[in-house]
Amino acid sequence: MKTIPFQRRTLALIAVIVPLLALLVYVALRSGPLALVAVTETEVESRPIRPALYGIGTVEARYTYKIGPTFAGRVKRLDVHVGDYVKAGQLLGEIDPVDLDDRVRSQEAALKRVKAVLRESTARQSYAEAQARRYEQLFAVRSISEEVLTTKQQELQIANAALTAAREDIDSVRFDLEALRAQQENLRLIAPVDGVITLRDADPGTTVVAGQAVVEMIDPKSLWVNVRFDQVSAQGLAADLPAHIVLRSRKSETFTGRVLRMELKADVVTEEMLVKVVFDEIPVPLPPIGELAEVTVDLPALPATPTIPNAAIQRHSEQLGVWQITDGTLAFVPVTLGRADLDGAVQVLEGLRQGDRIVVYSEKALSPKNRIHIVEHLSGVLR
Amino acid sequence: MISLAGRDILHSWGKFVFTGFGLGLLIGVTLVMAGVYRGMVDDGKVLLDNSGADLWVVQKDTLGPYAESSSINDDLYRSILALPGVTHASNVTYLTMQVRMDERDVRSMVVGIVPGESWGAPGWPPYLVAGRQITRGHYEAVADVATGFKLGDILTIRRNRYTVVGLTRRMVSSSGDPMVFIPLKDAQEAQFLKDNDAIWQSRRRTEVNPAFNRPGVPGLLDAINASQASSNSVNAVLVRIAPSAVPDEVAESIRRWKRMTVYTRAQMEEILIGKLIATSSKQIGMFLVILAIVSAAIVAFIIYTLTMDKIREIAVLKLIGTRNRTIAAMIMQQALALGVIGFAVGKITATYAAPLFPKYVLLMPQDSIVGFFAVLVICALASVIAIRMALKVDPAEAIGG
Amino acid sequence: MSGKGIRINGLRKRYGEGDTAVDALKSVDMQVAPGEVVGLVGPSGSGKSTLLKCLGAVIAPTAGEMVLGDEVIYDDGWRVRDLRALRRDKIGFVFQAPYLIPFLDVTDNVALLPMLAGVPNGEARKHALDLLTALDVQHRARAVPSQLSGGEQQRVAIARGLVNRPPVILADEPTAPLDSERAMAVIRILNEMAQEYETAIIVVTHDEKIIPTFKRVYHIRDGVTHEEAGEGKGFE
Repeated sequence: MKTIPFQRRTLALIAVIVPLLALLVYVALRSGPLALVAVTETEVESRPIRPALYGIGTVEARYTYKIGPTFAGRVKRLDVHVGDYVKAGQLLGEIDPVDLDDRVRSQEAALKRVKAVLRESTARQSYAEAQARRYEQLFAVRSISEEVLTTKQQELQIANAALTAAREDIDSVRFDLEALRAQQENLRLIAPVDGVITLRDADPGTTVVAGQAVVEMIDPKSLWVNVRFDQVSAQGLAADLPAHIVLRSRKSETFTGRVLRMELKADVVTEEMLVKVVFDEIPVPLPPIGELAEVTVDLPALPATPTIPNAAIQRHSEQLGVWQITDGTLAFVPVTLGRADLDGAVQVLEGLRQGDRIVVYSEKALSPKNRIHIVEHLSGVLR
Repeated sequence: MISLAGRDILHSWGKFVFTGFGLGLLIGVTLVMAGVYRGMVDDGKVLLDNSGADLWVVQKDTLGPYAESSSINDDLYRSILALPGVTHASNVTYLTMQVRMDERDVRSMVVGIVPGESWGAPGWPPYLVAGRQITRGHYEAVADVATGFKLGDILTIRRNRYTVVGLTRRMVSSSGDPMVFIPLKDAQEAQFLKDNDAIWQSRRRTEVNPAFNRPGVPGLLDAINASQASSNSVNAVLVRIAPSAVPDEVAESIRRWKRMTVYTRAQMEEILIGKLIATSSKQIGMFLVILAIVSAAIVAFIIYTLTMDKIREIAVLKLIGTRNRTIAAMIMQQALALGVIGFAVGKITATYAAPLFPKYVLLMPQDSIVGFFAVLVICALASVIAIRMALKVDPAEAIGG
Repeated sequence: MSGKGIRINGLRKRYGEGDTAVDALKSVDMQVAPGEVVGLVGPSGSGKSTLLKCLGAVIAPTAGEMVLGDEVIYDDGWRVRDLRALRRDKIGFVFQAPYLIPFLDVTDNVALLPMLAGVPNGEARKHALDLLTALDVQHRARAVPSQLSGGEQQRVAIARGLVNRPPVILADEPTAPLDSERAMAVIRILNEMAQEYETAIIVVTHDEKIIPTFKRVYHIRDGVTHEEAGEGKGFE
């Protein structure tokens, strides 16, 4: 055109339309199937990993003592409270005997009575013996009839039997008395070992049945953690491995310990292994029995192999693998994985070599057709 | 040949471009509305894609686990795993709830997955955008970025606290709630465990029940309490089958031998898209139709007004002998140009506005293409009224009288 | 595009029918030779506008004969099929208000018709520029009409009327919005153009100042024309 009309206007219009079109093209390329997929990449490193196992458990005491009377009674006094440290042999409390003392006195009276019976039987027997001897002599001179002698001899036998019965009665009553006295003794609650009171189940005045625990105590030295490990991730678990214990109420503190033993019986329902972990040093103050604890068991470090972050593992066409970047193009490489540690590093046994570049994070599930552009961090991720 | 339409646009380009922007915003809203619908459908589809499952085994006669609640025993997967054609079977739980972090809570779907070294098991987030996958069997979480959580955040789900170790993207429930993945056992606890108050109350109730608290049987009460508090249920078993296996056959054998309800991918899609979001999508569809009609009406009105502004000039053009064809073309071209500008503005605004929406808005290229031609057709139709007006103008009007 | 001017014989125009019929034009006879400028004057309602519309082939007369150049365009009925092409090619219009197309610049306003007719843009614009130069508004060639003064606009309008070199130009009150000096200038231009392009120009006016400039004036009253000799004064 020789004469360009409204040149300024045309320029202004172009200034609006061209950016608009450019923006439209940009938008069309940025969103939709043509868009580049932002990914982050990393290099496969060869390094040793230190796998660890993670489980949760509860603090338990290895030895728990439940102390109570063997005889029904009422609690008379109880001197200890939860948390009290007690020594072996210490008197913890007493059970009110109710009618036990009366029964003891009754037995004592009974004893006296059978002793009197014994004395009576002894007297009868010695008289019967003397009579029998005298009549024997009389019979020998035939001054009495044989019938009279036989009567006297029978009286002696009866007296002997009565004496034996009286003696047995005494034994019986004495043992009964001793039994009652032993019961009296059992009404005293005595600490069997050095330990700490964990439970006080009854207060003075409470009637307890035979066998019911009144106080419960544990030996604090025997505290351990009963840990459950998922069977899927319990490979390599063994006794004597070092462990870190974090108590739920003391998140910031880590206690050291070790695996004491693995239970031979696993939990069928929850599919967990049960492991006892003991503290190297018993925490002070004592953790409450039943508190939840997180336990990390360190396994021996493994030799250096190529490792990748677990976020890089993706599934594609029925295979596990990673997306390898070669000259900016994507290829899916199936891999065989080894052990992993808790920080997300996984050994690669087959499929990748040290120095290979792989995709770690991607905006969406990848396919070989995707064109990628590599970024430092994916957008939209709050840091 | 001179383009009258182009020259008119050039002359009053400010008015024209502003009108185009206005129309563009309207078109943008329409495109976003279509995107909302696509997003709803896509939410359902990604839910199925991300679960990585071929079959869903759920409680008998339920539409679980997404559309209805379903509860099955957590040891069932072992027997399913033994069936021919099954390569993977994983327990999974889904629970929509408020996940708390400090003072804030986010509505999310908490998914319980089998943790540990079972890479790529069904139910796992298939890809991450930051952090790592769950390695510990407890108290770790992978969250969707839409939750707004970041790495290292401590979340509270029921009574437990979870550390966010990984972030993923586009992991949503069918209703668009972002997902939070936690280890299965924790999730089972979260789903079936009551709160502490309820546990205390239930313990007290059990305690006063003489049947459970017998003086002569000291351990009974503890055993009952423990059994009340534990849970061995999951919502579904996700099953992956061998490439050679036929989904329907495997599903049939599970149905027949395990007496469970099983859904294949196609059936699940039917449930999610056909049942769960059917009314919502119809609602959106109605809106889309209304917006299209409103847009058409507005384009018609704009073109009509622009034409009426020029009615005198059109009369002059006719008087000095301009053909009808030329005048109609001028109006039609202007309408189409308006449509093109509007579409460009609309497409751009829709693309930039889409991520701002709380729920996913999926702008599909084919929707844009259809939208583009729809806009052109609407503009062409809308200009018909204006053209009729213009052609009815009597050239004699130009001569005073 | 020289022709033989325009000739009208016994032109009649009746609006409506039956009792309400109004005869706007009863008997109109006019003849304007190429290069001649004639005035057409008359009071309001005299039929001026109707006559102009008939001449401009915008409305159809009821009876009579119109000859444009050597072509009979109307003889108790249109004799040409495409009135629009007729207007475009044979008749130039200059209006009371210039009615330029506001979104085209001056050059394109003038060049519009040839361009629409398929004349290459460059050629059409060159021709337009020639016309503008002749009318002494070439310095505003790139301006849009709204930037022009009334006189300039009217000159551009005249250029547009002339662009196809029509045998006849109809000017409807071309000087109405102008002061007498500019009005006189416009009339002078029309006369010059009529000479130069051998066009018959009919100027409808009731402007007392310019009536004396015509050599011939047609008075129209109640639908009947009377020819009178004008004063043919100069334009100063």
